[in-house]
Amino acid sequence: MIDGLTLIIIVILTLVGLGCGIAIFIFNRILPEESETLKATAKIAEVLPGANCGACGQPGCFAYAQALAADPESFKDQPCKIALNDDQCVADLENVLGMELDAGTPVKAVVHCVGKSEILFNYKGVGTCKSAAQLSGGYKKCAFGCIGLGDCLRACPYDAYTIDEERNVAIVDWDKCVGCGLCVPECPHGLIELVPNDTAQFLGCSYTTLLPIPGRERCEQACIKCRKCVRADEEGRVTWNDERILPNIPSVAVPESVTECPPQVIIKTGK
Amino acid sequence: MSDLISIFIGMALINNFILTKFLGLCPFFGVSKKLNAAISMGLAVMVVMLAASLVTWVIYYQILLVYEIEYMQIVIYILVIASLVQIIEMAIKRTNIQLYNALGIYLPLITTNCAVLGVTFINTQEGFGLVEALVAALGAGFGFTLVLGMMSGIRERLELADVPESFRGIPVAFLVAMILGLAFLGFGGIV
Repeated sequence: MIDGLTLIIIVILTLVGLGCGIAIFIFNRILPEESETLKATAKIAEVLPGANCGACGQPGCFAYAQALAADPESFKDQPCKIALNDDQCVADLENVLGMELDAGTPVKAVVHCVGKSEILFNYKGVGTCKSAAQLSGGYKKCAFGCIGLGDCLRACPYDAYTIDEERNVAIVDWDKCVGCGLCVPECPHGLIELVPNDTAQFLGCSYTTLLPIPGRERCEQACIKCRKCVRADEEGRVTWNDERILPNIPSVAVPESVTECPPQVIIKTGK
Repeated sequence: MSDLISIFIGMALINNFILTKFLGLCPFFGVSKKLNAAISMGLAVMVVMLAASLVTWVIYYQILLVYEIEYMQIVIYILVIASLVQIIEMAIKRTNIQLYNALGIYLPLITTNCAVLGVTFINTQEGFGLVEALVAALGAGFGFTLVLGMMSGIRERLELADVPESFRGIPVAFLVAMILGLAFLGFGGIV
């Protein structure tokens, strides 16, 4: 089945590979030992998620580990949010760093738009939200909503975003989102917000103007400023934001408001 | 002897790897911001080139030619270069962590640096003997270090220069590279 030449090639490749491996092994022994800080760095780098997403502000997990090895306190200024989402990882890090980490509440990203706005004109420019937004705020009737060209999707190192083809809106998969926040500055309309991961519902609209009334002229599922959600909540958890002309939706569950909303623009999380 | 000198000058200046052959352009822009890092990068590449030329020469003439499987050279050369880079990376990481940080991703990227693979291929193509191959590698590495050093020296000064806003950073570096390339054209025809 294998002729002589193939066999020779296989043998030679194996021998060369073996030789290279042995050379590396020998040099590993000859070269001076790694310094103590480097050893500590390697230990930290081992327990870090290794995604090299850059959400902490360092160029990669190894650089982050170096920063932590030099000063463990810097975790407070530049926390690794991916590690904080994983209890096992937090425990390992505490073990290696020898200090208690303030885990805080893990956060997730939400997009404040449901994307029901109709398309106003045919946009054929550069395929990013940022460039589309410069042309009269996007190609949709609503100049506040999701443009749907996926700047957030490209920024996300964890593939948490998908673009709903039908509605042309970005959707976050909370199972994949780690709350790193890399997507937040990417959205030209500022629709992405990090919310505590026990948030029960959020407002799926960012229509922050009264004109034209009602917002439905621009989008069939827009906040129509009826304030029914505020009235429905008897405990006063839902308040009205006069500046943005939108309700402030709390993170605690307010099922009455969700069901009462006429355009059903208050969305339960995970939907 | 004069042969060796002409090979050295030919590889270093006339057929300069970066500016004439366009090999190894990635570190040319990636690590040419600081003079120290650039020189170290050049030296690291030169060491890898020398070692790779030595090992691949032996492998080519003692193994590949004997069994008439020259077409396997790409695979085997890459294997050799990758392990050499591993060793260099290990050495730099353990002896000088600042340098390791300065070189960053470009250090492991020497593995895929076409300048290193290029010099081994040129050695084989030209039918160089062992000494000639080593001199060629030395010349190529020297030319690489020279251009990297020149570029980083210029870029250090560019940081302070009054460059029009839209040209600041990489664009003006490209312009500098163009002028450097034109200047190196002048070496053509020396040997």
